[in-house]
Amino acid sequence: MPVYSRKNIADGIGYTTIIDPKFKTNKIQVMFITELKKETASHNAMAVGIIGTSNSRYKNLSQLTDKLNELYGASINVDISKQADEQILSISISSIHNQYALESEDISNSVLEILMDCIFSPNASNGKFSEEPFNFRKKDHLDSIDAEINNKRNYAVIQTHKEAYKGENSENSAYGTKEDAEAVTPESAFEAYQKILKTAQTEIFFVGPEKDDIIEKIITEKFSKLERMPENLNFISPSPLKKEVSRVEEHLDVKQCKMVLALKSSCQDEYKMKFVNTVLGATAVSKLFINVREKKSLCYYCASAYNFWKQTMFIDCGIEESNIEETEKEILNQINEMKCGNITDEEMNHALLSIKNSLNGVGDTSFSYISWYFNGFIKNNVIDTETAINKYASITKQDLIEAAKTLELDTVYVMKGEEA
Amino acid sequence: MEIKDIYCKQTGDHCKYIKHSSGLDIYVCEMNGFSTTEALFGTKYGSINTMFKTKNDKQYTVVPEGIAHFLEHKLFENEDCDAFALYAQTGANANAYTSFDRTCYLFSCSDNYIKSLEILLDFVQKPYFTKETVDKEQGIIGQEIQMCNDNPGWKVLFNMLQGMYHNHPVRIDIAGTIESIAQIDADLLYKCYNTFYNLHNMVLVIAGNVKTDEVLEVADRLLKPCENQELETVFEEEPYEVVKHDVIEHLPVGSPIFNIGIKCRPENGNARIKAEMECMIALNVLADPSTPLYKKMMDDGLINSTFCVEAFTGDGFFSLIFSGESESPERVREYIVNEIESAKINGLDKKMFNTIKKSTYGMMVRISNNPEAVASNLISAYMSGVEPYQSIKILSEMTYDDVQKCLIERFDTNNMTMSVIK
Repeated sequence: MPVYSRKNIADGIGYTTIIDPKFKTNKIQVMFITELKKETASHNAMAVGIIGTSNSRYKNLSQLTDKLNELYGASINVDISKQADEQILSISISSIHNQYALESEDISNSVLEILMDCIFSPNASNGKFSEEPFNFRKKDHLDSIDAEINNKRNYAVIQTHKEAYKGENSENSAYGTKEDAEAVTPESAFEAYQKILKTAQTEIFFVGPEKDDIIEKIITEKFSKLERMPENLNFISPSPLKKEVSRVEEHLDVKQCKMVLALKSSCQDEYKMKFVNTVLGATAVSKLFINVREKKSLCYYCASAYNFWKQTMFIDCGIEESNIEETEKEILNQINEMKCGNITDEEMNHALLSIKNSLNGVGDTSFSYISWYFNGFIKNNVIDTETAINKYASITKQDLIEAAKTLELDTVYVMKGEEA
Repeated sequence: MEIKDIYCKQTGDHCKYIKHSSGLDIYVCEMNGFSTTEALFGTKYGSINTMFKTKNDKQYTVVPEGIAHFLEHKLFENEDCDAFALYAQTGANANAYTSFDRTCYLFSCSDNYIKSLEILLDFVQKPYFTKETVDKEQGIIGQEIQMCNDNPGWKVLFNMLQGMYHNHPVRIDIAGTIESIAQIDADLLYKCYNTFYNLHNMVLVIAGNVKTDEVLEVADRLLKPCENQELETVFEEEPYEVVKHDVIEHLPVGSPIFNIGIKCRPENGNARIKAEMECMIALNVLADPSTPLYKKMMDDGLINSTFCVEAFTGDGFFSLIFSGESESPERVREYIVNEIESAKINGLDKKMFNTIKKSTYGMMVRISNNPEAVASNLISAYMSGVEPYQSIKILSEMTYDDVQKCLIERFDTNNMTMSVIK
C-alpha cells in the first residue's frame, strides 16, 4: 500500500514523500510557486531553466547530460506553468532505483547531489549566471515563445486566455513576453533566482519504491538553511465576467479554423462544476461530442475544460469557416439544455463513471501522485481519491442545473484563414 | 491453446503469451499494485498496406490511401450504437489510432475491466458500414486532414518522406487525402476489413490490474475462430536513392523547423530491431546533448533544445532522422555530415558508446514503469515480429564494433533529404 506524508521543513517549504513499492524509479520534484507577474515571469522562467541545464560542477548541458547518462540516463526536467494567478516553476530529477543498477552503483545519492548542486550551487559567480548556460537558455526560451504558433490548437487557447483574463495576472504566459525575455540579463536572472529561493512557496516531492532517510535528511538540511520570507499566495481568484462578450478574430495562413469560447461561472463548488464540465464536453459521450461533432458533423473536435481556480470554462473546436456561426450557436444551445434541466440519468451516470475511472488511476504514475497531492496542498484540503469520488457521487441533477446556470459567455476567439 | 511465460533477464519483468485457439496472439502482463488496466486490440494494418492479396485472390488488390484510418473511424459505429456509448457504461477511457503499420483499438480503466474487454473484443469483430455512415465520415476525416495540414511538425515529416521515397506508401499522410478518401465506399471497407481484421493477423495486449485466467475466459467466449487467409502485403519496388535532397515549404511557424533524414535499406523482424537499436546508439553517440557535435551546434546558435534524433522504421522503410528548429538548417546538415564522415574514419567515441548504452538501458527500465508503457512496448514488439523484451536483450549483447559497422553501412550521407518549413 502506498504511504503518503507531508511535513514542513522550513518557513513556507513542505516536503512530501509518497512511497509505493510498485515503482522502479525515484523522482524528486521541487516546485517553486510565486505570483505570476508580467515583469518577472520571463526572469523566473529563464532562471529555473538555467539551473535545470547546469550547475557549478557540470557547467553546461553537455557536461550535465554526460554525467546523467552515466547514471543510467537519469533525467532532469524543468516545467514552467501557471495555475490561477501564480507561476509554478518546477525542477525534477528521475532515475532508476538502485536495485536496477548493473554494477551496484548508488544512483539515488548521486542524482540527489546533482539536483542539490543545480539548486544551491548554480553555475554563477559575482551575482550573475555564467554566460554559457545563460545564452543557451535565453535562445531556447525565446524560441519556445516564438514556437507557440506552431501548435494552432494550443495557440488559439493561449490567445483566448489573454483576452478572457485581461487585466488579471493570469493573462500572462508563464514564459512571459518576448520583449521581457529579450531584456533578461545574467544579472537580472540571477537576482530573480535569489528572490525565488527566498520568497517562493516551495513544495518538494519524493516518489519512489522505498523510503530514503538520507534523501530526506539532505533536502531538509539544505532548504532549512535558506533565508526565507515567503509570499502569501491566493490560488482561488475567480475571473470577473465582462460586461459585454468580447470577440477576437485573427487571420493566419491556416486551412482549418479554430474557435474558443470562454465562459465564466460564479459557482464556488469545484466538484459540481467539474461534473458539469464532464457531462458537457469532457468525454466521447458528452453533449458537445455527440451533438456538435457526431450529429451535426460541424467539427473534428469540440471539447470543454474547466479551470476551477479562475472559475472559467474553455470550449475549443476545429471547424470550417462556413460553420463558425452555427457551431457557436449549437455549443451555447447545449449549455442552455443543461440550464433547462435536460440532463438524463444516463448522462449523469456516464460522467460519474468517467470521473471515478480517472480518480482511481491516480497513483499509477509519479506524475499523477504529485499532481494530486500538490493540488490538495494549494487548496489547503488534502483528501484521498475515495473521498473525492464520494463527493461527486452525492451531486444531484438539481445541483448540476444550478451550477450550469452560473455559466455566462465572456469571450469568443476565432482563428480564420488569411483574407483573400 | 498454448500458454508460455516470457521473462526479461535484465529487468525481471515477465508476461504471458497465449496462442489462442481462435488464431489470435494474446499477451498479458499482470502488474501488482497498479489500479489501471490498459488493453489494445490491434491489427497489422496501417496506412502503408494499400496493396495485398489472400490465398483466395489471384491478383493483388490496390485500395485508396487513407482507408485503414477510415476503417478505424467507422468500426466504432456498430449497427445499433456507437462503441463510445458502450464504454460510457463502464467509465473506461477508450480510443483508437492508425499508424503506418498498425491499427489499434484501446481502452484504459481502473474498474470493470472485464466488461470493457468484452466491449472491445465484440465491436472490433462486428463491422457495420452503409453509404450514409461512410458519406458522413468523409466530412469528419476531411476536417482531420485539414488539421494535420496546419501542423508544421507533421508537414515537415511528410515533406521529408515524399522527398525520400519514390513509391513506398509511407510517403502518404496516414489519413490519406481529401481526393483519396472520396473513393472509399462501404464495399471497399468490407473488403479491407475481411482481409486485415482476421484474428491470425491480430493481437490482444493487456497489462496492469488484470488476471490471465479472466482474460482468457472472455477471449474464449467472444473470439470468433477464423481461417488463416495467408495474407500477403506487397509494395512497389523502391529505389535505394532518395527522390530529392531538399524540400522547402512556407507555413506560419516561429523558428524554421527541419527534418534531416538518411534513407537506408529496409530490414524485417529481428534484423530490423537489431539494426534500429544499433542506429539509435550510433545516433546518440554522434548527437546526444552530451556530444561535441551538439555542443558545437548549440554554441554556434544553430539549434535549440528541440533538436533530437530518431530511427524511423517499418515494413519496407528505414530512415534516420535529425530534427529540430534552426535559422540555418543547411549548416546543421553540414555539421552532421562532417561528424558522420569523421566518425566513419576515426571511429565513434568508445567512452561515449559505453555511456549511451548504459543510459539507453536505464531509459528502457524507466519507461516500463506503468501499464500504458508496458502495453505499448508489448504491441510494438508484436508488430515488429519479435518477442517481448527483445530490444533490451539486443542492447545487452551489443558491442562497439556492431555499432561502428552499422554507422559505416547505414549512414550514407549521399542519400539524404532535408525538409524545412519556414
